[in-house]
Amino acid sequence: MNALDTLIQSHRVHRSLYTDPDIFVTEMEKIFGGAWVYLAHESQLPEPNDFITARMGLRPLILTRDDDGGLHGLFNRCAHRASTVCQSECGSARRFQCSYHGWTYSNRGELVNVPFAEGYPPDFDLSDHGLAQVPRLGTYRGLIFGTLNPDAPSLAEWLGPAGPLISEFVDRSPSGRIEVRNCQRMVYRGNWKLAWDNAGDGLHPTFAHRSFLLLNERQHGGARSLSQFKASPDDTGMYGADLGNGHMFVDQRPGLQQSFWETQRPVPGREWYADRIVESHGDDAAEVLEMAPGSMINLSIFPNLLIKGNHLETVDPVSAGETRLHTWVAAAEGAPDEVNVLRMRIAEDFPSLGNPDDLEIFERCQEGLAIPEVEWVDMSKGLGHPAEEVAADGVRRAPVTHEGPMRGYLRAWLELMSADANLTTARAGETSFEKAA
Amino acid sequence: MDAPAASVLDDRLYQRLVELAAPDGAERGPGRPDLRPAVEQALHHEARLLDERLYRAWLDRFTQDCVYWIPLDPTADPRTRVSYLLDDRRRMEDRIGLLETGWAHAQEPPSRTCRIVSNVEAWPLGDGDTLARCSTVVWEYRKDRLTPFASRNDYVLASLGENWSVRFKIVRLVDSRSDVRKFSFVL
Repeated sequence: MNALDTLIQSHRVHRSLYTDPDIFVTEMEKIFGGAWVYLAHESQLPEPNDFITARMGLRPLILTRDDDGGLHGLFNRCAHRASTVCQSECGSARRFQCSYHGWTYSNRGELVNVPFAEGYPPDFDLSDHGLAQVPRLGTYRGLIFGTLNPDAPSLAEWLGPAGPLISEFVDRSPSGRIEVRNCQRMVYRGNWKLAWDNAGDGLHPTFAHRSFLLLNERQHGGARSLSQFKASPDDTGMYGADLGNGHMFVDQRPGLQQSFWETQRPVPGREWYADRIVESHGDDAAEVLEMAPGSMINLSIFPNLLIKGNHLETVDPVSAGETRLHTWVAAAEGAPDEVNVLRMRIAEDFPSLGNPDDLEIFERCQEGLAIPEVEWVDMSKGLGHPAEEVAADGVRRAPVTHEGPMRGYLRAWLELMSADANLTTARAGETSFEKAA
Repeated sequence: MDAPAASVLDDRLYQRLVELAAPDGAERGPGRPDLRPAVEQALHHEARLLDERLYRAWLDRFTQDCVYWIPLDPTADPRTRVSYLLDDRRRMEDRIGLLETGWAHAQEPPSRTCRIVSNVEAWPLGDGDTLARCSTVVWEYRKDRLTPFASRNDYVLASLGENWSVRFKIVRLVDSRSDVRKFSFVL
């Protein structure tokens, strides 16, 4: 592996970031352990004793809520001989028993029983053999994050200007809370950072989503979904931003010529459900309908959460050349049921009509990256451009087709990869929890 | 091109879909052997239309109030859960229109498919419709990969014979809850 800082230059990045298995292993350890990693949303484990499984890089995890409502990030690994102790995606359980030799843990991670206890050394203490845990957990408006890094900043500090933008996303619900429903799971043959590059990329829709743009123009006309990218997106007021710590933001809202609802492509049931909302809400109907379409923002929380549309999408790397994307759909809590029925159909719309073209292109990139002699990936658009503004809070804003957000996350990547962080796990009762917002 | 028809999907249609998809607590018993030849005629014809990518001819076989549904969790109410897709006629037209733009990268080169339709059973539904169930494997070849998509499908056929037509089509992929590659051909 070359010295890392030679692999990222101001305007380009080396192909090995996408292809080298050694770099991948280090990323899974240092980035998906050293940063605050998104794990799940509180609405996915609402009741005492609920749990949901997740991953921190390649580390399998059980996120639990104990009978007092406290959250715990337990590694899904028996302290005895390493077998995973939980096989369900989610559910409710007070105990997790390993099927191999029967070691049994509480949902706080304590080892509560070892069968045939006789024969262990005299100093064998159950409290030394609980499930290893994520030492630091935190929540921000219901989103649960964890880190293994004792030296990481507070969660609020880590999120920085991305935090208030999470709040904007969540506050589209009347109750100020989202309810995460189910997820679409997809996999592509390409590096996880291809999805990351794409999430902050306002240059690609015009080309990568040409089929979607043309379809809408032909079948539905007018300023429908994504039409803001049809021509000269930089003249629309849309912008991209490097929020610091690797977080990225693309704001499509300034590019819209009409309301979210009028912009939204017609989805199944649009007419009937909109009529019901007009009947029940009269003059406020337009405002209620505005909750149904996606947020028109792309907010990427480094290293593994892409907030877009009405989705929380997790980036779940498998290997240097394979990645899973899990797209969790959020319902607006407190909104009329009709709004959330429409949200379900809208959540299928771009993901099934537009995303296949993204994933196809990620795979084409991975194919192209296989050539050892052609070493560099260009990310120079906007570098040094007079339109790149740096605000007081350090946020760098630029026209939407610039590549500044990508250069920004790679700075955070390099910092985490170069750090000599002392990543740790904790025992039951030794963990910390911070409620950042 | 004519403006696409408005959606007719309403709560009543959803309710019918949910009841149709509900697990058969009451065992239906074996299918009616006399219905099978006409149902197979329709399903085999549909398979050939799709394998030959005659999508417009395929769409012509669906009623105006049709629903084409690929659930992620077939036991969940689609009003409260996202699906892989749940299309009315208008969105089916969009799906085909997308391929016809010639710019759907995920279908460049296009998938070549071969689908096997088997285990066909059929029951009359009382209102002139026919319920058909079958097992399907679609083999998709694209670039260097041959990928099977295995599913148990439900159809509600509004008519049989020469003018067979489909009111509902539900594709229950066996691996709908795991990580699947996005597909943009028609299953």
